[in-house]
Amino acid sequence: MQQTQVMFYILQDDKTQKSDATSDNDKNRLFHQACLQAARFYRQNQRIFIYTHDQASAHDIDEMLWAFDANSFVPHNLPGEGTNYGAAVEISWQAPTNRRSVLINLTSTVPNFANKFSHIIDFVPTDETLKQQARVRFSTCRKWGFAVETQPASAVQESVESHS
Amino acid sequence: MTPVEQAFSSSGFLAKIIEGYSPRQPQIDMAVEVATAIEKQSCLIVEAGTGTGKTFAYLIPALLADKKVIVSTGTKNLQEQLFHKDIPLIRKALATNAKIALLKGRANYLCVYRLDQYKHSRGQLDAMSLSDFVNVQKWAVSTTTGDIGELVNVAEGSSVFPYITSTLDNCLAKDCPNYSDCYLIDARKKAIEADVIVVNHHLFFADMALKDTGFGELIPRADVVIFDEAHQIADIASEYFGEAFSTRQLLDLCSDVLKEYRTTLTDVKQLGKAAEKLQRTSQEFRLLFKHDPERGNWREKCKQQQFSQAFLAIKTDLDFLYQVIKLCISRNEAIDNCFDRAVTLLSKYDVMVNTEAFGMSFWYETTRRHVVLHQTPLSVSEKFSAYVASSNAGWIFTSATLAVNEQFKHFSQQLGLENSAQLLLDSPFDYQLQSQLVVPRYLPAANDKGRAAALVNLAKPLIEASKGACFMLFTSYRMMNQVAELLAEDVDNPLLIQGQMGKHKLLSEFVERPDAVLLATASFWEGVDVRGHKLTCVIIDKLPFASPDDPLLQARSEDVKRQGGDPFTEIQLPQAVIALKQGVGRLIRDVSDKGVLVICDDRLVNRPYGEVFLKSLPNMQRSRDLDQAVRFLKQINVSDTNKREL
Repeated sequence: MQQTQVMFYILQDDKTQKSDATSDNDKNRLFHQACLQAARFYRQNQRIFIYTHDQASAHDIDEMLWAFDANSFVPHNLPGEGTNYGAAVEISWQAPTNRRSVLINLTSTVPNFANKFSHIIDFVPTDETLKQQARVRFSTCRKWGFAVETQPASAVQESVESHS
Repeated sequence: MTPVEQAFSSSGFLAKIIEGYSPRQPQIDMAVEVATAIEKQSCLIVEAGTGTGKTFAYLIPALLADKKVIVSTGTKNLQEQLFHKDIPLIRKALATNAKIALLKGRANYLCVYRLDQYKHSRGQLDAMSLSDFVNVQKWAVSTTTGDIGELVNVAEGSSVFPYITSTLDNCLAKDCPNYSDCYLIDARKKAIEADVIVVNHHLFFADMALKDTGFGELIPRADVVIFDEAHQIADIASEYFGEAFSTRQLLDLCSDVLKEYRTTLTDVKQLGKAAEKLQRTSQEFRLLFKHDPERGNWREKCKQQQFSQAFLAIKTDLDFLYQVIKLCISRNEAIDNCFDRAVTLLSKYDVMVNTEAFGMSFWYETTRRHVVLHQTPLSVSEKFSAYVASSNAGWIFTSATLAVNEQFKHFSQQLGLENSAQLLLDSPFDYQLQSQLVVPRYLPAANDKGRAAALVNLAKPLIEASKGACFMLFTSYRMMNQVAELLAEDVDNPLLIQGQMGKHKLLSEFVERPDAVLLATASFWEGVDVRGHKLTCVIIDKLPFASPDDPLLQARSEDVKRQGGDPFTEIQLPQAVIALKQGVGRLIRDVSDKGVLVICDDRLVNRPYGEVFLKSLPNMQRSRDLDQAVRFLKQINVSDTNKREL
């Protein structure tokens, strides 16, 4: 089997935001980045799995993708919705039930089914605790023999937006 | 500045008659394009989103051009609005003396001859029909137009109307003793003399396809033809360029023949026998079909022996009746009319036998008592575009819903108008603020047993938040009735259900009772106009794709496949998109309107074609969370109450 490619996107501190709302903004930025990634891979005809910590987060992603600009429409489903085969993008807090090529990981650990994917997208948030968890995930991926790289998140946003 | 631009300017005609008028660029853009099409005798397709002011944008250049204009619209109500409200206003503003006429279909005019006949021949009437009939008689002496729309004290669907109006079949035309005081002829004369004629699409295409005699002289005289609600015209045109043959026509003929036999032609015994025989075979033919009304493929049905035999029996008996009537020709007008009808029916019969005809769909539909066979052309584009090209007129096609995926391909291909000028104007409404589009999560599949209960559960909080003022629309009667039954147990709001009473009555009840919830099938929506807070929430059970069982759709799909296309993206999807756009237009009609559209079909979210819907619909605020919709609806009601208190 082909070696799994992992890309960690480093989220930048948003200096314009007030500090008291940091954790919410952090989450929003993270989710928005995840949605942009989903849109990018969807347009490359890939099937994507977005793995979230819990149901509430899955609903947040669902809500965000559904409200995306119509020109960047991303067909997606929550577990139990749509056909058995699922939409191009599935959002779930449970292990995947069908084969997909891209995993977008929004949980704090590397899920044990990660090696079934050819691509993994992960993020490094700005909050110190979360950053520490990301570092652990980074080394877990290495340990499991994945090809791991990092990249600033801003670059992606620009390329997606110019694309749509 | 051109005269048209001048009319719309802040110092122009409109500013003089409309208080607080301010010019709006999209409206002016449309008016200028309309003026160009009129001048160059070319075609223009305009999608003007709700609230653009498209009516004035076509009426003003049309009236300024000082030419003969036909305006065709979707319904009688819209015709009346144009004739009684919009055009008089523009006429006043432009200070022109242009003559206007309103022309409706034959069934809208009193037939003096038939009223007279009915007076003498009617049997025992029940109390309702009797009181209706008395009202008709009173009105008939005083009316000047003969338009039955004036009869406010007789219900729309009253059983008296068929006896006091004519059909193409039973009209005696030039042979009629009352020809000189015929209201229909009078209305047509006025229309021909007028500068601006307001018609509806059915009338327009009946005229164009020469489906009503003594007509066909209206359109050739026009310099400008304007279609409002133009998204409907391809289907209506197909209907009129096709043929229909029904057992009703046969039975009507038989009963008219029997009437003559019993009154004036008693000596021709065969007349009675022949008519009664045809009556029986026609009724037997209906009995071969299922009891419940249905539609299906006639080309396939008529290959089954029992159907082909019963259909052949009709031919034999119709032929016999024709031979007998022939012997009575010129004994009186009525029997001559029957003879003509027998001839027409025989030729229509031949159309329905020849099911191998190319480029046609053959289908049937049944009602409780009758069978109608249809031959419908798969495409009218060649005929229609040829007509347009040879007309020497400017043609304007407008509607709030023509574009799919921001393109006019679907519309223009149907009518062969690919080379027309096109204009797409956005609505001035702020849909992000005024509306929400919600697709609830975790809906049971369409065939799930718990589907009706799930719909009821999600509807309850919405109905509570909107305090009624809610439509629930269904793709099947079965689901509608299931939900109605469950909902009746759970909510106190009055439920109005399609089928309980006539459409018109149902809607007026809905407007009168602000807390009502209306349950209907999806087709109910077309042409419905409920302004303001009378309607704030619309719940749709499924995306409005046409049923794949529809015989006409099947035939068109086959045709697309033969040409290597994909019937889903070329036919079903655009149709459903237009239907849904229509729906949104009914919900938000005004800058101050607010509302929620809940579509209980997650295919909109999880199928790639969701993109086509979203790109074609106004940019509403989207959510998948029902609580969002509930909050939004509550806010509408709060701000409403505040307004009232102020």
